Amino acid sequence: MAKEKTYICIGCPLGCEVTLTIDKKGGVVGFSGNKCKEGEKYVLEEYTNPVRTLTATVLTEGSSQPLLAVRSNKPILKTKLAQSMAVLAKARAKPPLKMGDIIVPNLLDTGADIVASSDLSS
Amino acid sequence: MKLQDVDVAVIGAGPAGMAAAIKAREAGAEKVILMERAEELGGLLHQCVHNGFGLLYFNEDLSGPEYGHRFIEKVMDTGVTPLLETMVVRLGQDRQIGAVNTREGFITFRPKSIVLAMGCRERSRGALNIPGTRPAGVLTAGTAQRFVNVEGFVPGKKIVILGSGDIGMIMARRLTLEGAQVEAVVEILPYIGGLIRNEVQCLHDFEIPLFLEHTVTRIHGEQRLEAVTIARVDGQRNPVAGTQRVIACDSLLLSVGLIPENELSLMAGIQLDPVTGGALVDETRQTTVPGVFAGGNVLHVHDLVDNVSWESELAGESAARFAAAGKPEARGEIKVKAGRNIRYVVPQTISGRKDTTLYMRVSEPEETVRIKVGNITTKGMRAVKPSEMLKIELSADKLEKLKEGTQEIIVDCEKRGGK
Repeated sequence: MAKEKTYICIGCPLGCEVTLTIDKKGGVVGFSGNKCKEGEKYVLEEYTNPVRTLTATVLTEGSSQPLLAVRSNKPILKTKLAQSMAVLAKARAKPPLKMGDIIVPNLLDTGADIVASSDLSS
Repeated sequence: MKLQDVDVAVIGAGPAGMAAAIKAREAGAEKVILMERAEELGGLLHQCVHNGFGLLYFNEDLSGPEYGHRFIEKVMDTGVTPLLETMVVRLGQDRQIGAVNTREGFITFRPKSIVLAMGCRERSRGALNIPGTRPAGVLTAGTAQRFVNVEGFVPGKKIVILGSGDIGMIMARRLTLEGAQVEAVVEILPYIGGLIRNEVQCLHDFEIPLFLEHTVTRIHGEQRLEAVTIARVDGQRNPVAGTQRVIACDSLLLSVGLIPENELSLMAGIQLDPVTGGALVDETRQTTVPGVFAGGNVLHVHDLVDNVSWESELAGESAARFAAAGKPEARGEIKVKAGRNIRYVVPQTISGRKDTTLYMRVSEPEETVRIKVGNITTKGMRAVKPSEMLKIELSADKLEKLKEGTQEIIVDCEKRGGK
């Protein structure tokens, strides 16, 4: 039996609801609902490798600023977002830091680093 | 510092003010001051820790602080003089500025030109008149954003968000990642108020329930918010009896629209557009008071910071030119009017002689349309939505099509014969 999965394409304001037909082995056999080729590309990416940039904050130590804004320097699998937050909850940022400095290297073996989104002074 | 010889004074050092001040310097203004009531440059970018900034302007996906950082460095590099912790409290029709700070007390001066870049503020519960008690736990989405991203407090554990503007949806994701349960996002319109990418990446990714055509009809709780009642609305946006349901929650976030902050503009006698809530401007972004220009969210609320930066650069450049010439250029007098399914167009008047970009929003979502600017140009669009601002470029050679003596141009969003 073929399975179906639906996605909303974010390529343009149209927001097509695209239905993906998937065969028993998980292979994609069809698209419907998209009004352009971009929609197929987006949905295929969302099906095979849905990634997001994680942005958050970490607590600081030794700064007058309680939090430091951070981000992943590469998108990571969206299924790893919650687990990543647990890692960030334990991390601490100590000044002085420059924007782009690594706070958590190789987050959960994704190959992405969590980096400072701004400078941090004491 | 001598304030007697200021060329351009920019009021507000958020993304709009920084871009305007930098551009004014680059366009040759000698002394440019950037006045800001907060203790640092950057405005709200500091608390917008999410990404999606700069995709158009830098061709990079930056977080708010990263986007701000680039402009802050440029403010310093270009020799703009920031005047921090200084609040402008008076603005005269003659461009006289009155401001206060704790170092100099009350200061007044008259720059050669001014850029208004005060941004906007959020509509609050008072603007909606939601019935019920007045417990703690009802706050705007932007206030919650500051608590979570800057101060380090999560405002509650069970959250309802009224309004599906971008800040509301972004906070739904942020609060979920911080361990809160977002019970519902409630939107009175039949479609979301923000960008599609935020609906997908902030709501769908976390399976947050979205109630379209619903609103909050009552707030419950004595000391602390305990629940809200929501109900479906009819075509006139009135609640439908019998559709109420109660959702237990300890926080209600409001993401129900932004209002350009124009108290100073009104003080100076600047005419405002009743639809945008910002000044009436021509294509140089000059307001109805000569030598006073405006850009960014104080002029009309944008959805992308990139456009805020570009528009404010235009205001800054015009302000520098005015300061150098010491007299107004002929103001654009051709009215640009909103026609079919167009809510507003900025600028409201143009000269018809210079390259111009029209910024506009539609009133209702529509598919397969064409934006028609008088007899000058048309642009086909697959879909348009009120939440996504449209830009139409008019080059000077296209504007030559305008007949001598044209007094107004009407912009329409027309249906196209689709296939």
